[in-house]
Amino acid sequence: MASVTAKPIDTTIEVPGKRTPLVTGAHDYGTVTDAVCRLAECKTPTAWYVALGISASLMGMLFGLIGYLIITGVGVWGNRSPVFWGWPIVNFVFWVGIGHAGTLISAILFLFRQNWRTGINRAAEAMTIFAVICAGVFPGIHIGRVWLAYWLFPIPNQMSMWPNFRSPLLWDVFAVSTYATVSLLFWYMGMIPDLATLRDRATGKIQQFAYGLFSLGWNGSSRHWHRYERAYLLLAALAAPLVLSVHTIVSFDFAVSQLPGWHTTIFPPYFVAGAVFSGFAMVLTLMIPARKICGIEDLLTNRHLENMTKVIIATGTMVGYAYAMEFFIAWYGGNRYETFAFINRAFGPYAWAYWIMVSCNVISPQLFWFKKIRTTPWMIFVVCVFVNIGMWFERFVITVTSLSRDFLPSSWGYFRPTIVDVLMLIGSFGLFMTLFLLFCKFLPMVAMAEVKSVMPRPGGQSDHH
Amino acid sequence: MDKKYWRSLNELHSTPGFEEILHREFPVAASEYPEGVSRRRWMQLMGASVALAGVSGCRWEDEKISPSVSRPEGRIPGVPQKYATFMELGGLAESLLVTCYDGRPIKVEGNPDSPQNRGSSTVFAQSETLSLYDPDRAVGVVERKEGTRYARDWQAFLDYSDTVLGQARQGGGAKLRVLADVSSSAARKNLQEKFAALYPQARWYDYTANSRDNIYAGSKLAFGEVVRPHFDLSKANIVVCLDEDLLSEHSAGMLHTREWAARRDPAAGEMNRMYAVESRFTTTGLAADHRLPSRSVDIGFYLAKLEAQIQARLAGKTPEAAGDEYAAKVLAAMAEDLVANQGAGLIAIGASQPAELQARVHKLNEQLGNVGKTIRYSKEPLATDLSAAEALRKLTDEIQAGSVETLVILGGNPAYNAPGDIDLVSALSKVPHSIHLGEYEDETSLLCKWHLPKTHPFEQWGDARSYDGTLCVAQPLIEPLHDGKSEVELLAILCGDKHPVALDLVKEAVKGSLDSMAVNASWRRLVHDGVLKGSALEAVSPKVKELPAAKIVEAASEELELVFYISPQLYDGRFANSGWLQETPDNLTKITWDNAAIIAPGTAKNLGVEFGSVVKLILDGKSIELPVYVLPGQAPNSISVALGYGRTAAGLVGGDVARDVKPVGENIAALQSKAAMNFAVGLKVEKTGKEYELAITQDHHSIDAVGAGEIHGRVGQLVREGTVSEYKSHPDFAKHVVHHPPLESLWEELSYEGQAWGMSIDLTKCVGCNACSVACQAENNVPVVGREQVLKSREMHWLRVDRYFTGDDVDNPGVSIQPMLCQQCELAPCEQVCPVAATVHTDEGLNDMVYNRCVGTRYCANNCPYKVRRFNYFNFNKVYEDPNRKLQALVLNPEVTVRHRGVMEKCTYCVQRIKAVQIDAKNDQRPIKDGEIVTACQQACPAKAIEFGDLKNEKSLVAQAHASPRSYAVLAELNIKPRTAYLARILNPHPSLAKPDSEGHGHGEAHAEADHKKTAEKH
Repeated sequence: MASVTAKPIDTTIEVPGKRTPLVTGAHDYGTVTDAVCRLAECKTPTAWYVALGISASLMGMLFGLIGYLIITGVGVWGNRSPVFWGWPIVNFVFWVGIGHAGTLISAILFLFRQNWRTGINRAAEAMTIFAVICAGVFPGIHIGRVWLAYWLFPIPNQMSMWPNFRSPLLWDVFAVSTYATVSLLFWYMGMIPDLATLRDRATGKIQQFAYGLFSLGWNGSSRHWHRYERAYLLLAALAAPLVLSVHTIVSFDFAVSQLPGWHTTIFPPYFVAGAVFSGFAMVLTLMIPARKICGIEDLLTNRHLENMTKVIIATGTMVGYAYAMEFFIAWYGGNRYETFAFINRAFGPYAWAYWIMVSCNVISPQLFWFKKIRTTPWMIFVVCVFVNIGMWFERFVITVTSLSRDFLPSSWGYFRPTIVDVLMLIGSFGLFMTLFLLFCKFLPMVAMAEVKSVMPRPGGQSDHH
Repeated sequence: MDKKYWRSLNELHSTPGFEEILHREFPVAASEYPEGVSRRRWMQLMGASVALAGVSGCRWEDEKISPSVSRPEGRIPGVPQKYATFMELGGLAESLLVTCYDGRPIKVEGNPDSPQNRGSSTVFAQSETLSLYDPDRAVGVVERKEGTRYARDWQAFLDYSDTVLGQARQGGGAKLRVLADVSSSAARKNLQEKFAALYPQARWYDYTANSRDNIYAGSKLAFGEVVRPHFDLSKANIVVCLDEDLLSEHSAGMLHTREWAARRDPAAGEMNRMYAVESRFTTTGLAADHRLPSRSVDIGFYLAKLEAQIQARLAGKTPEAAGDEYAAKVLAAMAEDLVANQGAGLIAIGASQPAELQARVHKLNEQLGNVGKTIRYSKEPLATDLSAAEALRKLTDEIQAGSVETLVILGGNPAYNAPGDIDLVSALSKVPHSIHLGEYEDETSLLCKWHLPKTHPFEQWGDARSYDGTLCVAQPLIEPLHDGKSEVELLAILCGDKHPVALDLVKEAVKGSLDSMAVNASWRRLVHDGVLKGSALEAVSPKVKELPAAKIVEAASEELELVFYISPQLYDGRFANSGWLQETPDNLTKITWDNAAIIAPGTAKNLGVEFGSVVKLILDGKSIELPVYVLPGQAPNSISVALGYGRTAAGLVGGDVARDVKPVGENIAALQSKAAMNFAVGLKVEKTGKEYELAITQDHHSIDAVGAGEIHGRVGQLVREGTVSEYKSHPDFAKHVVHHPPLESLWEELSYEGQAWGMSIDLTKCVGCNACSVACQAENNVPVVGREQVLKSREMHWLRVDRYFTGDDVDNPGVSIQPMLCQQCELAPCEQVCPVAATVHTDEGLNDMVYNRCVGTRYCANNCPYKVRRFNYFNFNKVYEDPNRKLQALVLNPEVTVRHRGVMEKCTYCVQRIKAVQIDAKNDQRPIKDGEIVTACQQACPAKAIEFGDLKNEKSLVAQAHASPRSYAVLAELNIKPRTAYLARILNPHPSLAKPDSEGHGHGEAHAEADHKKTAEKH
């Protein structure tokens, strides 16, 4: 028998000379499969239907509002002169940022041989895809003439009219669409062996057909495994730079313009750090309740949570550093417009937003220095919710505050969101949650095959996996 | 299959009638001719009837009118033509040149031949095309019986008037009254005389809300006769305005602005100096070198002090040293300047001030030797025996006494703008026969038995005189759209001429002024020119009589005063239905779509009210609720409110209670009284606790301390100002306000081989009158967005006038203004960021906006440092799609695209005008002359502050302006190379009031300009 003990062990303690197990509880390969597949196979709980009902209604509201928007005009939002970009762009950057954790976990941590990633990578990747979908909604509907959105793509046409390759918005189109494509492929490819497991266990005709279709004839042969692992490695290598590039390019939307408060060279690293920060916070926000409800606490242990909180402290501190550095450079640069942009952020009419951002993003993650907080799921959850709020406000502060007071004081203004703005943000969470709930129900939430690879081999020593 | 096809039931049933029709090639008559007519004759008849059928559908005018500028053989479709005409406000004409496309007036410009405006025009004139096509204008004759509205026609009215006037004539017209808007028309005067002869007992009253009665009374007091003062600002070194907006609201404002501005070029000789003592902040106060805020009621106090100072100086005495108080210093400086510039100064006093003060100003001007030099007098043709308010009072009393049976109201809207203590509204309903001729079915029409549609100024023949007396003639530019008749025509009808020919009436009336040897030729010439040269009023030289000793006026009390003023946007309310004017921001307050109680910051504090709090203004027991606007520079304890708002029957734009459209603003006329038409003391202000959000286009929200501090530091860089002495020591001081490292481009810059269009705006000359902004709106189909959207900062003006307060004193700040429009940057930041290349550069340096290509990412607007790009958040042109309001679409300039929703737009430097001239020049194979291309804003500017042309042509006025030492580019440090240059504003303060010159200019002896060049060469 495997040397797993029935007694719950504290996986957050490093015992010298011993490896802390990544899977706790009395688990073997079979029970891991059972635990993960149970979700797709058992009778759907009512709570799931209720949750899906709420999320889907919110999603429906989002699409209804989009219809209203397209019929009426983008004036239904609070966008105005000089704040030509308002909540839709804030939401876009927010969601793109959320979509960073997944690929970082699966690609970069994979390349760095961080085995603990196996417990969370599937859910995190799914979250990435869903966040990118949410993000993708906004720039599309944000433009004044939605029906011409395809002009942003370099499609050959009879006018020989190309997009303007000097525009960061165009780079953005490429960056986000590439990222979405690669993330989707990576996620799907990684899921094939697990889909095959579900197929093999499925009893219903529909399930058998659907899982069968998507598992692409996987039979678990050594050749399959060999090809699979090669391809996975290659995709991971391809995806890794994208993690850095996509938010770098999103930051160019701001940094390449000449608006005070946007035009700063610190933006690319600052945006990437912020994205990882918000992404990890969102993974934790989702996984802490999910692992409880789905009963996969043995696979997603406190150690996983703790590791992620450490990433959050690191990136949160980087973000805090960036905030401070922006101020320093604004002062050091001696440009009156830039200096004012930052003074205005902290002490102007949007000071409330700025200080919400600072307290949520810089102060709250510092609580993770306390081990007690790092290892208590509900406390992590609370902090992560704050981080999510803070990161939304960060994008709000960057976008709206900078725009509201630029060069000529005559055109200064104050942005007020409309009810449509607010409902669309809520609706985007509906879309996100709907997709996530469907994922929890129908797809393997944990990468079973990968988890098994970091478990003690049956009959082997627990220390030598 | 044998399927039966049929075209109608008749065919299906094969009725004999149908069979017959089927076999005819043409229905009815055409294929057979009546017996007894030869075939040849038949063809003639048919030909003629076909031709006539076409004629009946035409709307071309029957009378001969003459296009200006060129007179082609025939009309060339699509080629715009300009016709001279005029509009009359307060009895004074503004001569205009109207551009028509295929018989459709679309753009108004000032008549360059008019000595008054020389091509510039007011906002009111600019908006006349919009009101011409206003769907809310009265359509057809209307009769009201017992509260029911019946549509009638002119014949019905003629029948009615026959009966009513027939009765009136029998009684000699004893119970017949006419209440008319003031007019200087000779044709009307002729008919008025004819009318008086026909109805000897009838009485005629003139009424206008913008009366100049105080001026008439003052002149009578001073000279014993009513004369009209004419100011020559070109000769005035010193201009003193006492509660008088000489540059804008004065009827000769455009002339004054032009002459004043001509003396505001520090390179062209000595600059003039202007002082303003005024209660509310006017255009003149904004342009003045020194401004003293004073309650209107205290003007007498300051005038007495000024008099004393001047008398002392004239008597050779050294007046006692002025105190430290600002007011004393200003008055001392004023007196010193006026005495030092005898014969080259002038004092003007506003029409709001009482006769006694007017007379004393005449006296002072005479004493200072200004009369005959800077001030000329002429006869006053508009003088009446009764003041406007007295006339209205008398009429109302007569009605109440039952001595009026028939009342004819010619134009105007007295039921709306009668002062509160004259109850014309209830009186009107007591008149058995009341007839109102008006362009709109307005408040007055609703109370009258008959409403007759009045022609728009562009639909009628007419004549009037401008302020200097120049005869202006109007020709109809379009057939009356709504079956209207002009005042002259209606008067002729009342005088028994059932089918008057306005052309003949007008021609007859002005015949005396024409060359008697060639009447027809000189008439044609007059119609073509629009003005008669040399027809100005003859100068008279009255002498000031002995005046009663000046009453000693006690110093300013703490009592609150309420000042009523004619709205610079809506005039007396007659333009309330013009969206363009409603949305034109007031040049100081920036309020659109509302009037407000304008209060000084200190007074607001004392009253415990804030920006946007709604207060109750109580005067003599009458009250009105209005939101507060706290305006720095407003005189303490003086609250001013614009007239012309609160229209209840203006139309769908200005308010129409019957159609559930809320009035715009509040009608303040209710607080006016016969005794206090202009201002009143004893105002009480009560807080209501309510809040109201005013739609203002600048400082959309109150500015916090952080922002205010920054604005304070920034404005000096954006609007560069200096004094004459600074200019003399450093003519190029403006170039050294901002220093920056050498600017280099990231990419290869375009080289401009042909023309390089550029603009310059002289801030020394600009007075912020808004004419440019409305002209731009009219020319470029700029949509009106409405109050709700202005509240969301979504106004669409391509050209806005930025206003900044300067100085540390909130009670008496300086004001800097800056017309802001697309600067057409050579390295345009908007172009770089547009993902679909919808905004691109032309080889002539224009930053073009390709509406078709724009998808509306709005990135360009974010990246525009001037924020001059405007976005169509909704379909702001939807109003043209409403079938009931389709008429309005005729106002659109066919040369300019109407923008779709979701598209960005901005100033194009009037590219359509550039192209029109370029095409002409190309056809004629000649180069484009400097000054040939005139942008709409440049055209309208009375101060000639805007120059436009080819920067490559060194001789062009714009190139010279760019080369001026005063020229600078706003935000040049961003390396965007704007094509628009501003010329720094130079003020000419009195030495005793000037602030010490700021020390240095941020760089040592070495002038940075040279340094920059050297550094740039090295690179």
